[in-house]
Amino acid sequence: MATEETLNQIFQMVFDDDCIQIYPATTANDVDGWDSLSHVNLITTIEAKFSIRFTQKELLKQKNVGDLIADIDRKLAGN
Amino acid sequence: MPHNIGKICTSVQCARGLSAKTAFRWISAHAERTDYTFGDLDRESNRFANAITSLGVGEGDIFFTFLPKMPEQFFAFLGILKVQAVCGTLFSNFGEDALLDRLGDSGAVGIITRKSLYKKIARIRNQLPALKHIILVDGDDDQASGVISYQRIMAEASTVFEVQPTSPDTPSVLHYTSGSTGKPKGVLHRHASLGSQQPTAQHILGLSEDDIYWCTADQGWVTGTSYGIIGPWSLGVTQIHYGGGYDAQEWMNLLAQEKVTVWYSAPTALRMLMREDETIFTSANLPDLKAIYSVGEPLNPEVIAWSRRVLHHDIFDTWFQTETGAIMITNQPGREVRLGSMGKPFDGIEPAILADDGTPLPDGEQGNLCVKAGWPSMFVTYLNNESAYNSKFKNGCYYTGDTARKDSDGYYWFMGRSDDVINTAGHLISPFEVESALLEVEEIAESGVIGAPDDLLFEKVVAFVQLHGRYQPNKDLEIKIRLHVSNRASSIATPQEIIFCDSIPKNKSGKIMRRVLKARYLGEDPGDTSTLEI
Repeated sequence: MATEETLNQIFQMVFDDDCIQIYPATTANDVDGWDSLSHVNLITTIEAKFSIRFTQKELLKQKNVGDLIADIDRKLAGN
Repeated sequence: MPHNIGKICTSVQCARGLSAKTAFRWISAHAERTDYTFGDLDRESNRFANAITSLGVGEGDIFFTFLPKMPEQFFAFLGILKVQAVCGTLFSNFGEDALLDRLGDSGAVGIITRKSLYKKIARIRNQLPALKHIILVDGDDDQASGVISYQRIMAEASTVFEVQPTSPDTPSVLHYTSGSTGKPKGVLHRHASLGSQQPTAQHILGLSEDDIYWCTADQGWVTGTSYGIIGPWSLGVTQIHYGGGYDAQEWMNLLAQEKVTVWYSAPTALRMLMREDETIFTSANLPDLKAIYSVGEPLNPEVIAWSRRVLHHDIFDTWFQTETGAIMITNQPGREVRLGSMGKPFDGIEPAILADDGTPLPDGEQGNLCVKAGWPSMFVTYLNNESAYNSKFKNGCYYTGDTARKDSDGYYWFMGRSDDVINTAGHLISPFEVESALLEVEEIAESGVIGAPDDLLFEKVVAFVQLHGRYQPNKDLEIKIRLHVSNRASSIATPQEIIFCDSIPKNKSGKIMRRVLKARYLGEDPGDTSTLEI
C-alpha cells in the first residue's frame, strides 16, 4: 500500500472522519480538528503504524502532508 | 436604553453612524480577506434572526453554534440573541460525548454547523429528541433528516428585524464548563452582562473606535464571546478574525499587515511563540501594536521577559472565568506589572481571600479566591443544576474554585485550584469526564486522571490506567486510548501521558484518590492515606 493511502487511513482514524481525503498540499487548515493537540495524536499514530521516529527538526519543518510523506518515505528507505 | 446584546453590537453601532465602518476583516485559513461592515453585521444577523424565527425558534429557546471560526458564527450568534433565544457555543473539536452532554442537558432546539462537523451530531441525534433544527452552512436541505440549508434559508430571510424590548435579565449566552465531579455544567449569562464586558473592553483592553483588535480565542469559549464579539463590537471597534491555526510567522505577518493595535491571546500560544526562532519576532515591524493581553492560565514571568526583549511590549495578564463572564482581576497599562501576578481588581469588583470557613485571611496567606456577588456579568445559574449554583455562593461571595493570595500592595497571586479540575492550555478539563471516556475503552478496568505541571500547557492531562487482567499494555493500545478520548471528549482532554498500573487508589467509599495519584506522579509524600482502600 502506498504511503499516501496508509496515511489517509491514519488521518481518518485520528480525526474520526471516514470522508477525509488528503493530498500532498493538505495542511492543518484544511482538516477540521487538526489543532496542535490532535497533531500530537497524528504524529504518535504515524510513528507507531510505520515504525519510525521523527526528529524534532523534521517535525518543525513539516508544513503539509507532502512533507510528511517525504519524511516517511525517506525513513522507510533507510536514509 | 437598549439591553439586547445583539442589537447593541449591530443596529446601535449603525445608528451611531458606523454603518460603513469595518466591523471585522475575515482572513481565511488561505489568507483570503473579506471585510464586513457594521451594516453587513446588522443585516446578516437580522437575516439569521428572521430565519430561525420562521422555524419557530423564539425567546428562551436554546440554539447552539458548532462551527470553527468563520463569519457565519458571528451572524448566527448575534441573530440568536436578537430573538432573545439563548446562544450556546461549542468548541469545534468536541467529540460525541461532549456534544451529547451539552446538547442533551440544555434541551437545545437547534444548532448551526457544517457538514464535516455534522457527522458527529448525526451519530447522537437519536438521543437528542429536543433537537429539531440543524442548519448547515455548506449543505443542502434534507427534509427527511431535518437538515436546513443556511444558504437557502438566509436568502429567503429579510434583512430587517425588529428586536423586541429586552430585559437586562433575559438569558443570553450559555457556555458549559467542567467541574471535578459530574457532567459539565451550563453556565448561563444574561444580557446585562454587557455592563461588565463593555467597560472592561474599554478600560482594561483600552479599546476605542480607532483600534484594530485581534482576539485569538475560539468562540466556543467565554473569551471568544465576551471579548471576541460582545465587548469590542459594543464599542464599535474593528476586529480581525483569522480562520487559520497557530503559525508564528503567519501571526507576526498578520499583526504587521493588519496594523493590529491591541492583541489578546493565551499563555500557551505565547509560550509556543517563545520556542520559535527569535528572528521571526525581531524582524517583525509592529509600530502599530500598543498592547498585548493574555488570559486562560497564569502567565509565567519568562513569557513577559521574552516579550519585553523581542516584541518590546509587556504582556498584561487578565483573570476571569466562564462564570464571571468578564475580566475581574487584571494587569493593565499604566500600572506596574509584577511578574507572575494576576494584577488588581477592576473597578467595582471586590475580591477576597477567605478560609474554608469564610474567615478573611490576612495579606500573604493563601486561601479561596472569592468575589463579592452582584457584578453585571455574574452568571445567573448552572442550567438544570441550581444546587451546584447555590453551592458556589456563601455569605454573598462567589467561590471561584481558585486559590490565591493578596500582597500588601493589593496585587493578587494565583496559587492553584481548590478542586481536581485541570487547567490545560487555558481550558478547564474535568478528570471525571476523561475517566468516563477512558472506561468506554474495552481493555480498561479502572482509571484515574490528574493534572500535572507542564512547561507549555501549564498543566497536562495524565491518565493512570488499570487494564482488565487479560490485556497487556502496548503501543497500539496507548494510541487507541488517546484517540478514543480525543474523539469522544475533545482534543484538549487527550491524556498527554498514559501510565499503566496495577490498581487505582480509592477510598473506602470508592472515590478515586487523585491526590495520591498526583503525589505518586510527582514523587511526593501522598499525605494521609488512612482512608485508602487497599
